[in-house]
Amino acid sequence: MSEPAETPGADPAPAEPMFELPAELAIDTGIARRLIAEFIRGQLRQAGFERAVLGLSGGIDSALVAYLVAEAIGADKLLCVMMPYKTSSPASQGDAEAVVAALGCSVELVEITAMVDGYFGDGGVDGAVDGAVGAMGAGGADAMAASALRRGNFMARMRMATLYDRSVSWRGLVVGTGNKTESLIGYTTLFGDSACAFNPIGDLYKSQVRQLSAAMGVPEAVIRKAPSADLWPGQTDETEAGFSYPVLDRLLFWRIDRRRSVDEVVALGFDRALVERVDRMVAGAEFKRQVPPIAKLGPRTAGVDYLYPRRRPGSSRA
Amino acid sequence: MQPLRLALAQIAPRLGDLEANLARHHDLLAEAREAGAGLVVFPELGLTGYQLQDLAGEVSMRLDDPRLARLAAATAPGMSAVVSFVEESADHRLFIAAALMEDGDLRHVHRKVFLPTYGLFDERRFFAPGDAIRATPSRLGVGVGLAVCEDFWHVSTPQLLALDGAQILINVSSSPGRDLALSSEAGLGTATSWRSLMRTYAQLTTSFVVFVNRVGVDESLSFWGGSEVIGPAGATLFSAPMFDEGMYFVDVDLADVRRERITLPLLRDERPELVAREWRRLIAERAGLAADSTAEPGAVPGFDVAVEQ
Repeated sequence: MSEPAETPGADPAPAEPMFELPAELAIDTGIARRLIAEFIRGQLRQAGFERAVLGLSGGIDSALVAYLVAEAIGADKLLCVMMPYKTSSPASQGDAEAVVAALGCSVELVEITAMVDGYFGDGGVDGAVDGAVGAMGAGGADAMAASALRRGNFMARMRMATLYDRSVSWRGLVVGTGNKTESLIGYTTLFGDSACAFNPIGDLYKSQVRQLSAAMGVPEAVIRKAPSADLWPGQTDETEAGFSYPVLDRLLFWRIDRRRSVDEVVALGFDRALVERVDRMVAGAEFKRQVPPIAKLGPRTAGVDYLYPRRRPGSSRA
Repeated sequence: MQPLRLALAQIAPRLGDLEANLARHHDLLAEAREAGAGLVVFPELGLTGYQLQDLAGEVSMRLDDPRLARLAAATAPGMSAVVSFVEESADHRLFIAAALMEDGDLRHVHRKVFLPTYGLFDERRFFAPGDAIRATPSRLGVGVGLAVCEDFWHVSTPQLLALDGAQILINVSSSPGRDLALSSEAGLGTATSWRSLMRTYAQLTTSFVVFVNRVGVDESLSFWGGSEVIGPAGATLFSAPMFDEGMYFVDVDLADVRRERITLPLLRDERPELVAREWRRLIAERAGLAADSTAEPGAVPGFDVAVEQ
């Protein structure tokens, strides 16, 4: 079961592998590229769009999606929007610029600092609205955590609002950049970074995102660096969550894709406490992955017994 | 016997756009005729697209629909075509249908029997299942057996068609690609499974197997193409590329069936009466009309072995 991680084959023998790829998660990257390219072209054609826009953070997920979109429709039809907050890592922006330079796509810089500080105030902590949120504003360390959470969510939603505005001016669909791992554990902001017209990598675990990124030539620095939501200096996903992506990806793969029970994955070598914690995260994030329920009242209700494809004759704006 | 030129129309239908898909079928039929094809095969629901949901009842056609008659007319003279669409019966059931059109007429209709309703599939919600698996005579000089996608995931389908006289088994599909595991032979789990099935059926029925799978995207699903022709000895005569839209021509010698069946008389040695007898016994036992004659004492119904307490 615990097979040694495969060294990704795309690059000529680096001194240290760029990342750890659990053997059971390895995909055929050639097929993945082809399938995703068809998917992207199909989504745009059916909606009557020729162009796409995405938020480019400097991280691996959005970098990979930029490469995939550029391959599918050409870099000239892609707009990447960089949307830093004043505390965002300058290195992130440098990485994003390297991706844009490599692809030759259009790019825009939209600072979200004024939007965020306009709401929270610019003190770096809660603004005047905090009292209105009740329990969220309770004191001590929780207050700081809640504050960071609220600020992070708000930033993600300002970026979403920006992208959907640019979607109109650029005449392109917003492409999602969230991966399967973060979607499953709920490490996303509802109506924030998870908002999109379609998502080409939402069924790829983080390890698979890395494998595909290496195959597509995403800059090595982007692949190697520790994943981070970059909501405060020095934050990384793995220190915040307390587990590594290869372990988490493997656990999710066996629990969900391979339908193994808790006892079965424990027998595979996973720590029971971790398994139970991840199970709770997945269950707790179910609501983030689904369209909100509508109270069933009439004869035909969207999503219940009114079931149409999102795109059909007449729905294209072209 | 003259060599037969097959045309595999590995197309990407437009979801719900019957008129556009009809026009595309007419164009491809003309192109195939120009290229000297004797049989043109279109994929499952090539006239409507796959992920129809509530659109199914809006794109359905009765068998006497003039649009089908016009399509059939395009096969006159001297051509055969397999097309697939949503058929609405007189009592307003909707079927996923595949029709053999020849020399200007609609000759035979197969209604998809096995409707997958699990995992990513939801067909039984929108469609009624067919009730027959029958081979049909053809102007090609051999019997033809039509099946739609999931029909081939039930071993009885190719066996019945071959025993009923089919020497060409035609499966039209809308198979969504999934499972990109590097460990799978074709790089795509679905493709690997399908290829095993088709080779096995061709070999076991000593028949040609023609598989036409669509390409393109409906909603979340990407269809992988990879249409194939397998000879009666189980050898792959042609494999279309995965994901590429196109019409692919393959010349086959139908006399291969005779040679293979003389060499390897598997069909001759089939025992349909034995199979029917055992099926009747199983049906009675599963219905509780007879005791399970192969179960251990103490076994619960449907489970042959007594569970240890």
